[in-house]
Amino acid sequence: MPELLRMPEVAAGATSALLSSWSVPVDAEYASGSVIAVIETDKAVVDMEAEAPGRILRTLVAEGTEVAVGDPIAVTAAPGEQVDDLDAAVAALGAASTAAPAAPASEPDVSPSPAAPAGSGTPAPPTAAAGSGRIFISPIARKRANEAGIDVTAIVGTGPNGRIRRRDVEAAIAAGGTRPAASPSAPAATATPSATEPGFVDIPHTRLRRAIATRLTESVTTAPHFYVKGSARVDRLMELRAEINAGEDVKVSVNDLLVKAMARAHSLVPAMNVIWTEDHVRQFSGVDIAIAVATDTGLVTPVLRGVEALSVTQIARASRDLAERARSGQLRQHELEGGTTSISNLGMYGTEEFTAIINPPHSSILAVGAARPEPVVVGDSIVPATVLRVILSVDHRPVDGAIAAQWMREFTVLLESPGRILA
Amino acid sequence: MFCDGFGMSEVSPLQQSAPWVRLETTDADWDAADPGLLATMFAELVLIRSFEEFVLQLAGEGLIHGPAHSSIGQEGGAVGSALPLVTQDTVNGTHRGHHQFLAKVLTHLAPGGIDPTQPVSPEIREALLRTLAEICGLDRGWSHGRGGSMHLRWDEAGAIGTNAIVGGGVPLAAGSAWAHRHAGTDNVAVTYFGDGASNIGSTLETFNLAAAWRLPLCFFIENNRYAVSTNVSEVTAEDRLSARGPGFGIPSWQVDGMDPLAVYLAMQQALEYMRAGKGATLIEADVYRYFHQNGPFPGSAFRYRTKEEEAQWRARDPIDRVAGHLVRRGILSEDAITEAIDRSRALMAEIGEVLLEPVPDGKPGERRIRPSEWPDPGFVDTGIRGDLSEFDGVRTVDRDTFTGAVQEMKFIDAVAAVMGRRMELDSSVVVLGEDIHRLSGGTNGATKGLKDAHPDRILGTPISENAFTGLAGGMAMDGRFRPVVEFMYADFMWVAADQLFNQIGKARHMFGGDHPVPVVLRSKVAMGTGYGSQHSMDPAGVFSTSAGWRIVAPSTPFDYVGLMNAALTCQDPVLVLEHVDLYASSGEGPVDDYDYCLPVGKAAVRRQGADVTVLTYLAMTSYVLEAAEQVADHIDAEVIDLRWLDRASIDWDTIEASIRKTNNVLIAEQGALGTGYGGWLADEIQRRYFDWLDQPVQRVTGGMASPSISKVLERAAFARAEEAVAGLEAMGVGTDA
Ligand SMILES: Cc1ncc(C[n+]2csc(CCOP(=O)(O)OP(=O)(O)O)c2C)c(N)n1
Ligand SMILES: [Mg+2]
Repeated sequence: MPELLRMPEVAAGATSALLSSWSVPVDAEYASGSVIAVIETDKAVVDMEAEAPGRILRTLVAEGTEVAVGDPIAVTAAPGEQVDDLDAAVAALGAASTAAPAAPASEPDVSPSPAAPAGSGTPAPPTAAAGSGRIFISPIARKRANEAGIDVTAIVGTGPNGRIRRRDVEAAIAAGGTRPAASPSAPAATATPSATEPGFVDIPHTRLRRAIATRLTESVTTAPHFYVKGSARVDRLMELRAEINAGEDVKVSVNDLLVKAMARAHSLVPAMNVIWTEDHVRQFSGVDIAIAVATDTGLVTPVLRGVEALSVTQIARASRDLAERARSGQLRQHELEGGTTSISNLGMYGTEEFTAIINPPHSSILAVGAARPEPVVVGDSIVPATVLRVILSVDHRPVDGAIAAQWMREFTVLLESPGRILA
Repeated sequence: MFCDGFGMSEVSPLQQSAPWVRLETTDADWDAADPGLLATMFAELVLIRSFEEFVLQLAGEGLIHGPAHSSIGQEGGAVGSALPLVTQDTVNGTHRGHHQFLAKVLTHLAPGGIDPTQPVSPEIREALLRTLAEICGLDRGWSHGRGGSMHLRWDEAGAIGTNAIVGGGVPLAAGSAWAHRHAGTDNVAVTYFGDGASNIGSTLETFNLAAAWRLPLCFFIENNRYAVSTNVSEVTAEDRLSARGPGFGIPSWQVDGMDPLAVYLAMQQALEYMRAGKGATLIEADVYRYFHQNGPFPGSAFRYRTKEEEAQWRARDPIDRVAGHLVRRGILSEDAITEAIDRSRALMAEIGEVLLEPVPDGKPGERRIRPSEWPDPGFVDTGIRGDLSEFDGVRTVDRDTFTGAVQEMKFIDAVAAVMGRRMELDSSVVVLGEDIHRLSGGTNGATKGLKDAHPDRILGTPISENAFTGLAGGMAMDGRFRPVVEFMYADFMWVAADQLFNQIGKARHMFGGDHPVPVVLRSKVAMGTGYGSQHSMDPAGVFSTSAGWRIVAPSTPFDYVGLMNAALTCQDPVLVLEHVDLYASSGEGPVDDYDYCLPVGKAAVRRQGADVTVLTYLAMTSYVLEAAEQVADHIDAEVIDLRWLDRASIDWDTIEASIRKTNNVLIAEQGALGTGYGGWLADEIQRRYFDWLDQPVQRVTGGMASPSISKVLERAAFARAEEAVAGLEAMGVGTDA
């Protein structure tokens, strides 16, 4: 029996994904576990693997198509299985309607009415299956919404069949309700200059750019941030790092040590190892930390898991791997999910200190500046020292200031007594 | 004789006014014939036979794509009839046209004759090579391989194009003949066709038209007794097909086509008649194709005729006959005959080498086309229409740049006035159609006053749309005249469909992209006049499916003048749409300047608006404007009068700018949905501007069926302002929707 291959839910809560390419040609046999398609989500390129050996009889969506999760994308069969009437088989599987546009309703019997001009042959609009979650939105409305960073799920469409129209998006922009507060201007409210006008270029949004915009907008609008500053003398930390690296072929970075220190601090202050959900504050036992990686296309935050149990060399190796794959766009979706906190380090740029926006659903993010020589007062004297400044952004919903302050104390002490990091 | 029953009546035989004769040669004719003529006749027959044998050989090797309709056996008709022609005389023919084409080309290249004892001239070799290349579909061919075996054309030689539609070329030849006569020459046109083609309407219509108009056109019937496998006696009660001529007033000859001298002599008599300006002639040559319809097998292999019949005809072979007389009269020796045939075959083999090569790693003797000979696939759509360079330096203005005086005028007066102006300045402009020469300017007054001013160029035609449309097509391809065809009603296009779409619409592209077909067709839409289902169509949708045609749809007198001038300037076939509602309307038009062209491919924004783009044309424009005003308090419609409707000329710039502004599109037309215009446009818009659309492209059209006679049913069947209002309201755009 031919079977339908459906778009998997590659990321939790994702409603759609892009079928980026087919990896096996139609009718070519594949083995179980071989990659049959590449699927792109907001942040990752996912290889879709075959669950069983088989072959694709027909693809139902072209490469580059955005497909709703659960919609059929191909018809497959077991290797060697004979399918005589593929069209009939596809129809029997009920896939035809998704592969082809909805057929117009039966030939209109012409009876003039104000809504349907005589003989215009207006087909009855297709109706959305109840609860299918599909949003009907016109192309220009979608475009406007994207430009304005508007969340279309919050808009009620006034067009036929509940279709969101341009006017609905414009009303939403005007109302400002769903417009992100952090948005520096309201691009869609003013005329969008065409790409051919002189003086600037319009760089079309990548999926990643849009994802960053949406997620971080969501973060600043829904998670009340507060900030805790800390600094530590890290001369000993630097020495420790040199010692470790002397013998190893995997070089440990300052960042790796900071990640490990964060995990220790989280273990010491478990009230920080939480995230906010609708009904609960969820507290984790293990410590998963996301590492911000700048790529050519934008910020990506792969997650290191169980950091409390990892050695610093393990951390070094794992984060190197994640960073490399992040830059080549090869991360799997699950590697981008989870964690309670992130670390963002701009030290290599010489940044003294900065604040960062929390990556939902995390409850905090640590912004790390450069380690710089500074005069430090020790007892009565001023001595030169290498000082690292950090700012922790914290989501006030699950975490109060005192907890964050406690965490910061543990963290800076750990940095100044680095032997304890490794303990 | 008839007797009982009506015994009182007197019955006496009638005589047709035109003669019908059979011509046969005598020994005296053969003795009197010029030796050079007979030698040339032989040389041409042999060259054509060798050529055709070679084509069949290639067909057998699978190297000819498509059918190879062999003329082997019936060369005598073509050679005998083409020999007395001069270069300026024109010929066309059918699917079985290699021999006709080559006979004309050879006579053109060797007006002084061909010596069969000598190698052919380089020019003849080149012509044979290009013809073979065309038949193989190669770039070197006359039409770059586009036309192939059934579309051989070399205007320079007077070979104006063979045709794959049975009978399709006959009206076109009449156009050539018309041009010969009205250009003041004594040249003639010859149209070759078969027994099968003698039954089709275009042929019969043209018999009548050419005879009525005394055109120097020779209908040359190659009666080879079969149309594919159907015997002539099965499909006509009078299988002496030359009998048809006198019924139309055409002097007719029957002649043995296996006797090239007999054909030659009959043709000489026909030429004398035609060159004297007396009109059309008809020659029926009884011939026989030795092979089946196409390919290298005899007809008997397909069981519709016997081997004995084939053997009898082969025994009367035209080459043998001419060779026999040449030897008998001591003009050529037996050896010279054999040598000539061998030399001719060797020539074809040598020419074949130019185009063919052994298949690399193929079987012994296996050949293929040399890859470099194929046309570039990128050439596929080149030259469907011209490049509009004919507009270089032509005065082009639009309403906003027009500096002349304007006045309120009746639309129909602009129609007659601009045509009058063109005919006055350009003696090549000829208008033809039914009743256009009477009734004070035809049924609608469109040619008012023109017959008196230009009696020879306002031609009231017989009721034969296919023939007179084809005649106009032939005139246009000839190029000396600029035909303007009027259809009394647009629905009649179906009657002329072969000429409009298979011939006029395709010719330029099919013959390689360089031969223009500047026909103007004026066609009126008569929706609302109560003429019913067969007189009420809007032809724009159907014409827009034909890539070769351009379509203009003027909605004001000013535009009519500018668009008609553009149509008459353009080197492509142009349909000028007219509408009875417009004829009677008044609008702005020029006072005395009837010489400007509107820019090609420019639409007019008739009303600026922000909510919806309405694309419309012709009479619907004013109905849409009316509708837009009615809804203006809540819908701000932008109304674009397309003016140029065809795919190649439509104004995407104006459409795009408007869609980017309004994001909503309504295509409004009056006529029935099925033949409607807007379908392709809606398709193109959604593909070009998908991201700019706020809803599907919407349409206002008439009903499913063609309008009826009954007034209320008719009104319910097409669209006007009320339907446009409903269409606008249904879009849900504007302020209170
Ligand atoms: C209008 C049209 N109908 C049918 C055909 C298919 N067809 C091509 S040749 C042919 C037979 C023509 O017979 P005839 O006119 O006697 O010419 P012959 O082949 O004998 O030279 C037919 C039916 C066609 N090309 N055009
Ligand atoms: Mg025939």
